[in-house]
Amino acid sequence: MTLVLKNIKKSFKSEVILDDVSFNVETGKTLVLFGPSGAGKTVLLRMIAGVIDPDSGSIEIHGRDMTDVEPEDRDIGMAFQNFALFPHMDASANIASPLTAKRQSKGSIASTVQKVAKLLKIDHVLHHKPKELSNGQKQRTALARALAGEPSILLLDDPLRNVDAKLRFEMRLELPRLLADQNATVIYVTQDYKEAMALGHTIAVMNDHGIQQLGTPKEIYQTPANVDIARLFGDPVINLLDVNPIASAAGGVEMTLSDTSIRLNHGYSHAIGRDCILGIRPENIAFCDADDPLAIPVNIEAETPLNEKTVTLVTTKRGREIMVSRPAGSIAPASGAAHIKVDDAHLLFFDRAEGGLISPDAETRINGDVA
Amino acid sequence: MSETILSLVGVDKFYGPIGKGVHAVKNINMDIKKGEIIALLGSSGCGKTSTLRMIAGFEETSRGKILLAGREIQGLPPVKRKVAMAFEGYSLYPTVTVRDNIAFALKSQKLPQSEVNARVEDVARMLEITDILDRYPTSVSGGQQQRASLARALIRDADLHLLDEPMGQLEPQLRTLLRGRMKHFIKERGLTAILVTHDQTEANALADRIAVMEDGELQQFATPETIKEAPANLFTGTFVGEPPMNVFDAQVQLDDRKLAFALSDGVSLTYDISDFDDAVINRLAQTGPIILGVRPYAVHRGDDGAGATVFANQWLGDQSHIAASFAGGSIILVEHDRADVALGQNIQIKLTANDLHVFDRDTGRAIIHGQQVV
Repeated sequence: MTLVLKNIKKSFKSEVILDDVSFNVETGKTLVLFGPSGAGKTVLLRMIAGVIDPDSGSIEIHGRDMTDVEPEDRDIGMAFQNFALFPHMDASANIASPLTAKRQSKGSIASTVQKVAKLLKIDHVLHHKPKELSNGQKQRTALARALAGEPSILLLDDPLRNVDAKLRFEMRLELPRLLADQNATVIYVTQDYKEAMALGHTIAVMNDHGIQQLGTPKEIYQTPANVDIARLFGDPVINLLDVNPIASAAGGVEMTLSDTSIRLNHGYSHAIGRDCILGIRPENIAFCDADDPLAIPVNIEAETPLNEKTVTLVTTKRGREIMVSRPAGSIAPASGAAHIKVDDAHLLFFDRAEGGLISPDAETRINGDVA
Repeated sequence: MSETILSLVGVDKFYGPIGKGVHAVKNINMDIKKGEIIALLGSSGCGKTSTLRMIAGFEETSRGKILLAGREIQGLPPVKRKVAMAFEGYSLYPTVTVRDNIAFALKSQKLPQSEVNARVEDVARMLEITDILDRYPTSVSGGQQQRASLARALIRDADLHLLDEPMGQLEPQLRTLLRGRMKHFIKERGLTAILVTHDQTEANALADRIAVMEDGELQQFATPETIKEAPANLFTGTFVGEPPMNVFDAQVQLDDRKLAFALSDGVSLTYDISDFDDAVINRLAQTGPIILGVRPYAVHRGDDGAGATVFANQWLGDQSHIAASFAGGSIILVEHDRADVALGQNIQIKLTANDLHVFDRDTGRAIIHGQQVV
């Protein structure tokens, strides 16, 4: 275990910033801190870096308590949002700075700088001073500097934030390979759920000064701990509908959606008799024929392409809006009256008052797991 | 056929003296039909905002004509153009509530108060701002101000609705829903809208036709489907689409029976020539160095094909994005199920001839899309 945080607490004056945060990161793995601004993500990074001390709790790196260890002795590389590049040095010298400090040979420094810069597509601006670089280039220079030193822990605070969409996409695909080559242990902060899912071995969803859910991308997407987390992952956003599941006379569970009674073929008995919010992702709803036993009549309001998907906004007879998505190019009605049905292997039930996920039965978990 | 509501004829914009100043917009010609939603799409500095501001009347044209409903308007001030606008910096009145800001747009129509209220509530519900209607603009968030300004524009009766980055500040969870609602709202009322955006996802979602701009020039003006399937040039092909189009330097090699695209690293894509139209083969025979493009959704894994080594497989909940080392560069695939592919695994890439785009390497102009010669 490279990094262990135990029961970290921090307040500034009377304001609680972090309330009892714990997690571990294994060597070579990436943990993503995901959450809105003000959730405490950056404070946590700065604590690991040693710039801010926790009020209580401990941070261990390679089994060693960091309480009295200075930032420069922690073998940590950082790329923060405000770049913090040396203004009088060109991009190349900035990237080389952690290597120069380690007294590596000139030839080996130059080749490392070239390699990292090429990967981050800034090799053509290596001789520019920071003020001659665009924000996206500055950000990549800061990232390159953090990577060049090959530290055992990398702290990356939203490093792709200012990078344009196309490059961000490419870097999202290429960054993990580089991190794996270095066997780096990474804490990565982002507010982009796609980045979180693509880069994190584990995601810590932060809100209200703590970790609301810690899990693999798959766990967080398929079994979000509450409605808020369900809404933060996925585009289009998950559909949320009030339902009151009851025990079906024919066995199993029944619920009414827009005057259509639906008998669920999977488990979900845990939801019987409760005021629920049904969460159903747009990709788990499909158009169907009117005579399908699960068919819900809807009216199509608009169709909008979304990257490689087509999103259809429909309204039920009661005026509830539902978003349906499907792979681009697949055939479906585009306007007027239509019918939809939900894939009942992928339903989520949340408690309407508390918002928490109502944990499914064992049976549902087995049937509902697509992996 | 719908009537043309707006025409741009040879429109130029120079900042500074004509012929000497910065040439921001270069000879734009466009006809927009009544009831269309048009997106002006490009990166910053491409001329899209200057074009919109000339249509609005905030900027003068340096050359050319703008006709609205058949009437030349390039000399008219904004208020005389019957154009509704939601611009950044075209701000809300700070001294009145959001409700009154929106209702103000209806003032000239002398509608009964109940009708005004109903319309304001309607547009506010659509944009999810009913809860802030009685607050003052300075006390609401930037995203809410943006939606209030959008509501004020959309509620107005006008020949043309001009929307500058209308969704720029929205939280991501709302974006896709509001795009759908806004498209429905505009279509249901038969409004003609021109929106400026740098976000190709937004342009694709909302627009009937997209005007792709770069360096002051109109690169292509076509439906999203046409831009996806027949991009006019390499810029349009790679700018529109996420994930971006895969592109490779290539050489065409033809003999009596076979066509081969020779890529870097000894990779060769070969096709039986009898599967191709003669026109395509004849055109390919005349090409020099080319760039071969293929959209990520058209890249498939197969049992045979060109070898590639996977270096990323990222599952986003509803799609897998796979990247593999291929032909001296990388290739991206999109699959709609969770792809069972390990890092380091060798896969076989299948590229169907119909999905290939051929661009001239010197000019970037499209030469062939699938079986269509441009």
